[in-house]
Amino acid sequence: MNCRKEPINEEHMTDSTIQHHEATRDVTFRVHRFNPQVDGKPYFDDYTIQVEKGITVLRSLNYIKEHVDASVSFRAFCQAGICGSCAMRINGISKLACTTQVWDELEKGREPGVIKVEPLRNLPLIKDLIVEMDPLVGKMKEYSNWVDSKMPENEWGRKEFLISEEEFLKYDKATDCILCASCVSECTILRANEEYVSPAVLLKSFRMNVDSRDSRHEERLAELVKDHGVWDCTHCYRCQEACVKHIPIVDAIHGIREDALAVRGVKDTSGAKHAEAFMEDIEKKGKLVEATLPIRTNGMLWTLRNLLPMAFKMILKRRTPPPPPLVKPSKGIGTFREMFREMTEHVKQDHKK
Amino acid sequence: MKPFDIVIVGGGGSGLYAAMEAMKTNPGLNIAVLSKIYPNRSHTSAAQGGANAALANKAKDDTVEMHIFDTIKGSDYLADQDAVEILCSEAPKIIRELDNMGTPWSRMEDNTIAQRPFGGAGRPRCCYCADKTGHTILQTLYEQCLRKGVFFFNEYFALNLSLKGSRMKGLIAMNIKTGKVEAFPARTVIFATGGYAKMYWNRSSNAAGNTGDGQAIAYRAGIPLKDMEFVQFHPTGLRKSGLLVTEGARGEGGYLVNALGERFMSRYAPEKMELGPRDLVSRSIETEINEGRGFDSPAGKYIHLDLTHLGADLIKSRLPQIREMSMYFEGVDPIEEPIPVRPTAHYSMGGIDTDNFGRTVMAGVYATGECGCVSVHGANRLGGNSLLDILVFGRIVGRAAAEEAGKFTPEAISENEIKDKELELRSYMQPSGHYERYGSLREELGQTLGINVGIYREADKIRTGISDLEELQERFNSVRVFDTSDVYNTNLIQVLELKNMLDLAQTVAAGALVREESRGSHTRIDFPVRDDENWHKHSLYTFDKGKPFIGFKPVTMGKYELQERTY
Repeated sequence: MNCRKEPINEEHMTDSTIQHHEATRDVTFRVHRFNPQVDGKPYFDDYTIQVEKGITVLRSLNYIKEHVDASVSFRAFCQAGICGSCAMRINGISKLACTTQVWDELEKGREPGVIKVEPLRNLPLIKDLIVEMDPLVGKMKEYSNWVDSKMPENEWGRKEFLISEEEFLKYDKATDCILCASCVSECTILRANEEYVSPAVLLKSFRMNVDSRDSRHEERLAELVKDHGVWDCTHCYRCQEACVKHIPIVDAIHGIREDALAVRGVKDTSGAKHAEAFMEDIEKKGKLVEATLPIRTNGMLWTLRNLLPMAFKMILKRRTPPPPPLVKPSKGIGTFREMFREMTEHVKQDHKK
Repeated sequence: MKPFDIVIVGGGGSGLYAAMEAMKTNPGLNIAVLSKIYPNRSHTSAAQGGANAALANKAKDDTVEMHIFDTIKGSDYLADQDAVEILCSEAPKIIRELDNMGTPWSRMEDNTIAQRPFGGAGRPRCCYCADKTGHTILQTLYEQCLRKGVFFFNEYFALNLSLKGSRMKGLIAMNIKTGKVEAFPARTVIFATGGYAKMYWNRSSNAAGNTGDGQAIAYRAGIPLKDMEFVQFHPTGLRKSGLLVTEGARGEGGYLVNALGERFMSRYAPEKMELGPRDLVSRSIETEINEGRGFDSPAGKYIHLDLTHLGADLIKSRLPQIREMSMYFEGVDPIEEPIPVRPTAHYSMGGIDTDNFGRTVMAGVYATGECGCVSVHGANRLGGNSLLDILVFGRIVGRAAAEEAGKFTPEAISENEIKDKELELRSYMQPSGHYERYGSLREELGQTLGINVGIYREADKIRTGISDLEELQERFNSVRVFDTSDVYNTNLIQVLELKNMLDLAQTVAAGALVREESRGSHTRIDFPVRDDENWHKHSLYTFDKGKPFIGFKPVTMGKYELQERTY
C-alpha cells in the first residue's frame, strides 16, 4: 500500500507541485474495531500513515477509510465542529475528531506517535467507533427538553415575547450544546447507573427551566428530583472538562438544584434532605455523622429495607461508622464555624445579586 | 406496513418545520420523518448569520416591500416575483413564531428580537442568535418535534421512489443500522434533503452529506430539476477543508493579500476593497490565483487573509470563532500568521422544480428548502435568506401535504421490489478484477468541477468538465464496496452518495454550457454580460437515458422591471 509514502492532503496533487514543505510525520492510529456480525469482542487495528501538520484526527480517519481500509466505520457530517456527529475518545478523552489536531495528540498517548481512537462510553456500541444515540434522545423526551410555550399554538406568529438581555444570558451558553455526547461518555455516574439523567439532559433541562416563555417548569423539576435525577451528580466535573463547547455544565446542575430547593422546599426529596443533613453536620462538627446520614436522607423505613444487609456486612468487616455520640467535633471547630458563617453570608449575598 | 400519509425525507430545518406544521394542520395524520443522520446533526446547524425579516425592530422604516426588492435584485432578476412576495411577507410571522416556541434570539435594548445588517440588504433586517443562529433554530425545531411526538426514522438512507408508471407509491430506503431495505408506502412524500454543493468536494463548505440525495432520487424518477447551474461561491473558505471564514473577518479590517504581498482588491474594487460584494471578491481571488499570483501547496492554490495587523486583543475579543477555526482546521493562529483561504462552493440555488406550494410535477411528491427550487433565490441568494426560505416554505409545504394527502390512494409496494433493491446494493460488493476507489473518484469530481465548472466558466473548459464527468460515470461502474457487513455500512452509503453527486453534476455542467450569458453566480468569460432577451428564463433538467434533457420555463414577473444589478 503506497499510503505510507503519500502525505495526506485533500487533493491528489503530485509531489512535484509541492513548493513549500510543511512538517510531516508517521503517525499510528490505533482504532477500536468491532463488527457485531463477525466479532465476539472488540479489538484494535493499527494504521500507520504519513500526516502533514495541520491535519485533524477526522481527516486522518477519512484518509484511512478512503485509501487503506474502507471498512473502518465512524460517523462524521459537518466536519466543522457544529453538528456533533464525530465525538469519540481520542487518547482516552471524549472529544470531536473534526476539531482535534493530530499534532496536539502525538505526545498524549501512552506511546509517543500512537493515537488511540475509541468509541464514546456509556452508550451501547454499534460498530467500530459508532454508538447508539437513542438512549440520549429517550432521556430528552423523558425530561421534556423543550419549551412548552405559554402562548397557545394557534396564537403563534402574532407577536414577540419581550426578553431581556439578562434573561438571554442565562441560557445563552447552554444553547451552545450540540448534543455530541462527550459529557455523557465522560460521566462517572452513568458508568454506574445507565438510568441516570446524564449531564447533557440536565444542561438542556436547565436551559428550558430558566426560559420565561416556558410553562412546564414545575413538572420538569418534579421529574428531575426523582431517582436517577439531578441529585445523583457527584460534581466530579468530568462532563464540564470534556465539553467541546466549554459550557459550564456543573453550574447548570447547581442551578437546577437551587431552583428545586427554592421551589419545592428542602424536605422535598432525598437529594435535598441529604444536602441539608450534610450541611448540618459540617456546621456542627466539621465532619459527617455517617451512621445517621441515610436515615436523615431517606427515612428509617427505607434505610432498614435497603441498608440492613450492608450494615451486617460492615459489622462483619468491622467497617461500621462510629455511633453519633462518639463523633466529636474536629479540632479548631470554633475557627471553622466562623469561616462557615462567613461563607454562608457570602452565598446569601451572591444570591441577592 | 400501514401506509403513511406523509413521508418527509430529511430532518433539517425545512423537513422539521414541515412535520410540525403537518401535525398542526391535521393531528390525525400518520407522518414519518426519515433522516440519514440524527436530525439535530443536519446542516441547518452550520448557518451562522441569521434569517431576514422586515420586523423593523432595528430600522423602524424597514418594510416587507424593501425586502422583496432586495431579494429580486439580489437574484439578478431570475427569482419568481410571486414566490419572493410569499417569502418576504411571511418572514416576520415565521420569526415571531420561532420566538414563541423558544428560539433563543439575541435581543435589543428594548427586549425585542435583535437585527443586524447583511450583504445586499438595504436595511438591517437579519435576525440572529450570536453566530449560532442555524444551530439554535434546528435545536428548537427538533425539540418541538419531540414535544409533538413526530415519528422519526433516524439513520435511514433514502434510495428511490417506488413508482407505478408515473404514479408515486412511496419511498424505498435502507435502515443504516441493519442494512435492510424497507418500503414506506405513502400518500405523499416531501423531499427536504438539503443542497448539492458538496459535489465540489474539497472546494465546498458543505457537510459531507450534502450530496443532493433528494434531488437525485426525484431526477431519476423523472421529476425535473431547475436552475442547477447556479452555485454560489463564498470568497473565503479555508484552504484545506473549504470551511467558511465569515465575512466578519474582513468587516473587522482583515486584508486579502497575494503571493507578491499586494492587497490586490485595489485592482478590482478600489473603494470597497475587501468589502466588495461576495461574487466580486470571489472572482477577484480566482483571477489572482489563475494569473499566478497565489500561493501553492499540496492542498491547492490559495491567497492570504491577513489579520495579524489587527492585534491579539481585537482578534481574541471580536473574532474568537475565526481564530478557533483557523487553529483547529489549518493549524494556524491568525494572531501570528495569515490564514490560507480560497473561494469555496457553499450554496446551491437550483433544485427540484416546484410551484409555490412545493408541489412537483409528480402527484403527491413535494420538495422544500435548499433541496427544492421555488425559486426565491434565482441566480444568486442573499445572505440571511436561506434560513428564511427553509422555514417559510417548510411550513407551506407541510400544510399543503397535510391538506392534500387525502386525495391520493395508497398502494402496496411488492416484496420483489425490495428484494431487487437489496440485490442491487449487494452487487457493489462483488469482487471483480479491476476496481475503482470511491474516494479517488469523489476527489476527482470535486477537482474537475472546481476547475472547469467553478467561478469562471467558458465553453472549452465546461466541455472538458462534461467529458470528465462522463468518464467518472463510466468508472463508477467499477467502484467496489469493500465493507461487506450489513450493520452501519458507511462505505456503501458514501458510494451511493457519490452516484447521486455524479448524476447531479451532469445537470450543473450541462446548464453551465448552455446558458450563454453571465447572471448572478454564473459567470461566463465568453459571454460576460447578462442577456435578458435570450436568457431571462429558468432552465429545467429532465433525466433522459442517463443524461439531462434541457428545457426552459419563463420567470414569473411582478411589479419590478428588469434593471441592471449594481451596488
